[in-house]
Amino acid sequence: MSGWEREASGTARMGASAWDDDRTKPGCGRCGSPLEPEDLRCAVCFLPVPAGQGGAARAVARILRCDGCGAALTYDVKVQAPKCAFCGSVARLEETEDPIEEADAYLPFRVDPATARQAVKSWLGSLGWFRPADLATEATVAELTPLWFVAWTFDVEALVSWAADSNAGAGRAAWAPHSGQVPMTVQAALVSASRGLEEEEVAKLAPHFDLSSAQEAPHEMEGAAIERFAVPRSAARRIIERAVMAQARSHAKQFIPGSRVRKLSAAVLPRRLRTRRYGFPSYVLAYRYREKLYRAIVHGQDARVAFGKAPWSVWKILLAVLGGVAGVAAIAGLIWLFASR
Amino acid sequence: MQLECQSCGARVELAPDQRTGRCVYCGSPQVLDRPPSPDRPNPTFALGFTVPPERALEVARRWVRRPLFAPQAFRKAKVDDIRGVYVPTYLYSAVARSGYSASIGENYTVTETYTTTDSKGRTVTRTRTKTKTEWRSLSGHHAVYVSDHVVTASRGLPNEELEAIEPFDLRALRRYGPKLVSGWVAEEPSYAPAECIQLARREAMAGIGRELHGFMPGDKHRNLQYSTEFDGEDLELTLLPVWVLPVRYDEEKPVVRLLVNGQTGKIFGKAPTSWLKVTFAVLLAIAVFAGAFIAFRELT
Repeated sequence: MSGWEREASGTARMGASAWDDDRTKPGCGRCGSPLEPEDLRCAVCFLPVPAGQGGAARAVARILRCDGCGAALTYDVKVQAPKCAFCGSVARLEETEDPIEEADAYLPFRVDPATARQAVKSWLGSLGWFRPADLATEATVAELTPLWFVAWTFDVEALVSWAADSNAGAGRAAWAPHSGQVPMTVQAALVSASRGLEEEEVAKLAPHFDLSSAQEAPHEMEGAAIERFAVPRSAARRIIERAVMAQARSHAKQFIPGSRVRKLSAAVLPRRLRTRRYGFPSYVLAYRYREKLYRAIVHGQDARVAFGKAPWSVWKILLAVLGGVAGVAAIAGLIWLFASR
Repeated sequence: MQLECQSCGARVELAPDQRTGRCVYCGSPQVLDRPPSPDRPNPTFALGFTVPPERALEVARRWVRRPLFAPQAFRKAKVDDIRGVYVPTYLYSAVARSGYSASIGENYTVTETYTTTDSKGRTVTRTRTKTKTEWRSLSGHHAVYVSDHVVTASRGLPNEELEAIEPFDLRALRRYGPKLVSGWVAEEPSYAPAECIQLARREAMAGIGRELHGFMPGDKHRNLQYSTEFDGEDLELTLLPVWVLPVRYDEEKPVVRLLVNGQTGKIFGKAPTSWLKVTFAVLLAIAVFAGAFIAFRELT
C-alpha cells in the first residue's frame, strides 16, 4: 500500500481558508500543486509545464526575423537574448519569471484602536503579583500603529519518511535506530515574512486569525502601515520548502517511540502544495511606565490576544525570596528544636 | 537534409545531426523546424550562453599553459578557434521510492581494568574508558522527488565530459524557441529518450544513495543496501550552451578538444602527456634521491 492510500492524519494550524481561487489555477500533472502562469517547471516536483503549442507539420528551414526591420535575428551573448544586428532591437524569450511577492488578500481589522488600548490595559492587569501593582493603571499607551504584517500560508499533503535514534529498545548503547513513513496533511500553516514582528510574536497571533474573512484589498484604516513582501518568488519558495520540512520533522517526532530522540532525518514527498500570501491585521503599541517604553502587540481580530514586554517588581521578587528563605529557616529551626528534645 | 532558404530561395544543406545552419548564398541563419518523433523530440528548454567568447578563450588559454607534463608545443599552442554549440541533453525528473536496509552503529563506553607498570617499575591496576559500538539492523522506506539530472543526448559529447563541466544553473532555463539558437550551432539529439533513461536513472540512483547515507541515524553505519523504483518519470530534451575549442599543437597528433561551460566558464580537457618530460622528471627524482642517500651515508 502506498503512503498516499493510507489514512491521512494532520495538524491544522489555522482555520480553513475560504480563499479558493488556487483551485482554478492549472495543476501539476505529477504532484497536483497549483502552477503560476509564468512557471516553466513545477516548483515542487520539477515536472515541465506543457507549452501548449503544436510543432511543425513538416521540416522547414526558418529564419527568425526582427519585428522592427525584418533582418535576421541571432542570439547575442552580451544581452543574453536574440538581437538584431542591424537595428539593435532585442527579442523577448519565455523564461521563468521571478517577481517580487505581493499579498493576494488582506484580513480586516475587527478590533478598533480604542479596544486595542483597553486590551493592553487588561493584559497588563492580568500579569500576576510579581509585576508592579500600579502597572495597569499607571501605564499609558504612547504609540499605537495598526499594521498589516505579511505572511504566507500553505496547505500541503506529504509523505514523510523519517529515521532517528531514540532510547526505545536501547541495549548496551543508550540509543537504538528507528525508521518510518507517515502521511501528513497541513492546512493553512503560517510562515512569517514580516520585518516588523518577530517570529515568536507571529506564532502567538497565528491561531486566532479568521482566513474566511480575507478580502482582496486592505480597508481604510487611519495611520495603518502595510508591509510588503521583500523577497522574490524563488526565495519565497525556498522559505516555504524549509517550513514544509520543519513541519515534516515535527510531525515525524510524534511517531518515534521512546522519550528521547536524536539524529532525526526526514525526507518529504509533497503533493498539492498551495501557497497564499496574506496581510494580517495587528496593533503594535508602545506604552510608557515610569518613563520607560515597552512594546506590546494586540491581535487585529481578537482583542483577547495581547502580549509583549512588561516590567517586574524588584521589591516583590525580593520579598518573595526573603519570605522563602525565612520559611525554610523556620522549618529548619523547628526540625532542630524537635530533634534536640 | 535539403531545404529552401526563406530569404533567397536557394537550397540550404543542413547536416542530419544539426538543427541550425547558414545559407551559403545569402548568409541568413536558418533554424530547422520539424515535426517531433518519439526518437527525436523537439527541445523543451534551452539555457542561453552567458559566457562571452572572449572569456571562454581566455579561460582556455590559461588552462593550456598549466599542465607541466604536457608537450611544450601544446603549452604554447595558439587557441583561436572557438565554436558555440547548443548540446542536446535530457533533463530527468521523477518520484523515487526506495526501500533500504543497513547496520547502524550506536556507540557506548565501557570502563576496563588493566594492569601496567608505573614509573617506578611497580605493577599497578588502572581503569580506562573505551568506546565500543553496538550494531543494530534498520530497514525502512524513503520517498522524494529527484530532479535536475542532466544526461547527454549527443554522440559527440560523452556523458563523462558533460559531467566534467557541470553544473549548469537550471534556474535560468528558458522555454526552447528557435530565436534562442538562431545563428549558433545547435545539435540534434543522437540518442532517443529510451536510450538515455537508464543513464538518467543511474545518476538519480547515485544521488539517492548519497542522500540515504546522510539519512541514516546512529554514530556510524555500514552495509547500506537500497533499491529504488521510479515513477512519474519525465525526460525533456534541453539544449545546453558549450564552447568547443579545438587545440592543434602538432600536425601528427590528434586535435585536443577543450569544453567550456557556456554559463559558468568551467573548463574540461584532456591534456596530452610528453613522455620525454615524464622520463626526465623520473630520472631527476631518482638522481635527487640517490644523491640524498649517498650524502646521508657519507655523513653517518
